[in-house]
Amino acid sequence: MTLEGGVQYSKIAEIKGPLVVVDDVDNAAFDELVEIETNEGERRLGKVLEVGNGKAIVQVFEGTTGLSIAGTSAKFVGKVMEMPVSKEVLGRVFDGLGRPKDGLPDPIADKFVDINGEPMNPEQREYPKDFIQTGISVIDGLMTLVRGQKLPIFSGSGMSHNLLAAQIARQASVVGKQDDFAVVFAAIGVQYSEAEYFRRSLEESGALKRSVLFLNTADDPAIERIITPRVALTVAEYLAFDLGMHVLVVMTDMTNYCEALREISAAREEVPGRKGYPGYLYTDLSTIYERAGKLQGRKGSVTQVPILSMPSDDITHPIPDLTGYITEGQIVIGRDLFRQGVYPPINILMSLSRLMKDGIGEGSTRADHSEVANQVYDAYSRAQEVRALAGIVGKAGLTEIDLKYMDVGDVFEKEFLTQAIDENRTIEETLGILWKIVSKLPKNEITKIKDKYIDQYYKEE
Amino acid sequence: MTSNSSLEQAIDKILKKTEKEILLDLKNSGSDSKQTLDDSLPKLEQEYDKIISDGYKEADKIEKQIIGSSDLDVRNKKLLLLEEGVDKVFSKALDQIANTDRSGDYSNLIKTLLDEATKILGTTKVTVFTNTKDKDVVKSILSKYSGAKLSSETIDCLGGIKIKSKDGTMTFDNTIDARIERFKPLIRKEIASTFGMGN
Repeated sequence: MTLEGGVQYSKIAEIKGPLVVVDDVDNAAFDELVEIETNEGERRLGKVLEVGNGKAIVQVFEGTTGLSIAGTSAKFVGKVMEMPVSKEVLGRVFDGLGRPKDGLPDPIADKFVDINGEPMNPEQREYPKDFIQTGISVIDGLMTLVRGQKLPIFSGSGMSHNLLAAQIARQASVVGKQDDFAVVFAAIGVQYSEAEYFRRSLEESGALKRSVLFLNTADDPAIERIITPRVALTVAEYLAFDLGMHVLVVMTDMTNYCEALREISAAREEVPGRKGYPGYLYTDLSTIYERAGKLQGRKGSVTQVPILSMPSDDITHPIPDLTGYITEGQIVIGRDLFRQGVYPPINILMSLSRLMKDGIGEGSTRADHSEVANQVYDAYSRAQEVRALAGIVGKAGLTEIDLKYMDVGDVFEKEFLTQAIDENRTIEETLGILWKIVSKLPKNEITKIKDKYIDQYYKEE
Repeated sequence: MTSNSSLEQAIDKILKKTEKEILLDLKNSGSDSKQTLDDSLPKLEQEYDKIISDGYKEADKIEKQIIGSSDLDVRNKKLLLLEEGVDKVFSKALDQIANTDRSGDYSNLIKTLLDEATKILGTTKVTVFTNTKDKDVVKSILSKYSGAKLSSETIDCLGGIKIKSKDGTMTFDNTIDARIERFKPLIRKEIASTFGMGN
């Protein structure tokens, strides 16, 4: 912190949407923090988006409602936005800008860190390969999450992604190791009831102690949403790379973040890209998602599970589309399964964890994991085909083996996929159910598993 | 006699056969029951193991809840106590600053504050604001800054100065209050570390 900056300018040229244009400005810097002071002495925070020709365009995080050109002044603070970090942030609840929301004082900072983070040196990145157990069978068994990975959840409006997010935050752990584990939870533009659910859910399960919550509710100014994932990731990076913890960052809902970005872009009169989102949406998202990873010589890791709701369940929408380019796979929530009352309604045929193969097997989960998972994928895919066929020719027209595959599909959905919201399954339990499903098939249909594993785990009915 | 013995023989035969059948049935039932018991034993053991492991899981969950919330309670109380301590240190320090003797080195402090402020605004043609206590000190120094003028209006602060450019568009607050506010997070950290926390 320095004395530089601190000049207050009172010549406001224009207020446009979430932006304030300040005139006759010297020495302002890009991304510099700005304090906007109203006539009544109320202070709001903002940051410089553009400087030049004696003007500075300031994006006001708390919105410009109630501001007028006369009487409003802008103080350029002389530093970028920083988040005070220390181990004391664990167990705390903050708002979307990183201010305490739990009635406790500001945490005593160990240091102040620029919320934009420091880009990871690609040369120093370590390949993610350690398993994180979420306790949710379908994720652990078929789309395993590994430390340092970024694995988004693609959902739709009204579906149970928030329940799933809270369950992951409560249950996630590193199995068999004494390493410190923490969860950073960023709620972006969620309803008040959802924010309360997240907070209560972590409190009641005792998981709040190892968690940090950032809650930006739907009625908070949209512009704050630009900051929320960044402050959350700043804390996560500190916990991971300064304190050596393994940090899982859950961010929901990234669609609200993108909406806020579109709002600012429109106010700046930028040329719109697809569906009105700015052309730099991909670059902007990558500055968030690429903050996941592991570094050589450092103990901790940052793993991201961003959650986004696809408008009209459209997976080709720019947000899931561009997210998919950056992340390492995706977990897709299926509307059909949701309507059937299945929880978690994950459509495994559209989901994939690209790093799963490196995080499973002997030494991390179990030697047969990969093969049994492949067999179940295959069997469920066949079950879907058989179901479609049965819809045309009727069950009576199906062969005996087709009926077995239908049975596999039912058992998969009822016993493997379906799980209570407080049910925390170990990886052994998950693999046990996978073998139960495989055992519904005759041995000659099992083509993806080695005989030695069949002999060991197959249970003929 | 002959017919009686044949009858007896027939009855004996029937009795023996029936007895044999009953014994065989009993034996079969015995082995069936044993088989059923043997079969149900692993199931029973499985059920037993499941109940025990569910119990452990539940106990573990409850233990985590209790420990987690009590740890947080303790930590939060500690934080509140610390904050109370920090506030007390701050208010005592502010009292001392407010009552500082305005003679001697104090004029050097005001000069430093004015130097900094005019440098940041890039001009000495400014209007200077201060509080009643510092007015005389500021007045005595101001002649060194060409174009600087002391405002008749006083401001409410612990000490120091606030300057405004002549056209009124730029202001720089270099009062002691503003400086404390700017450095407050660092000062809090220092105070906390003297209480043995925050590092």
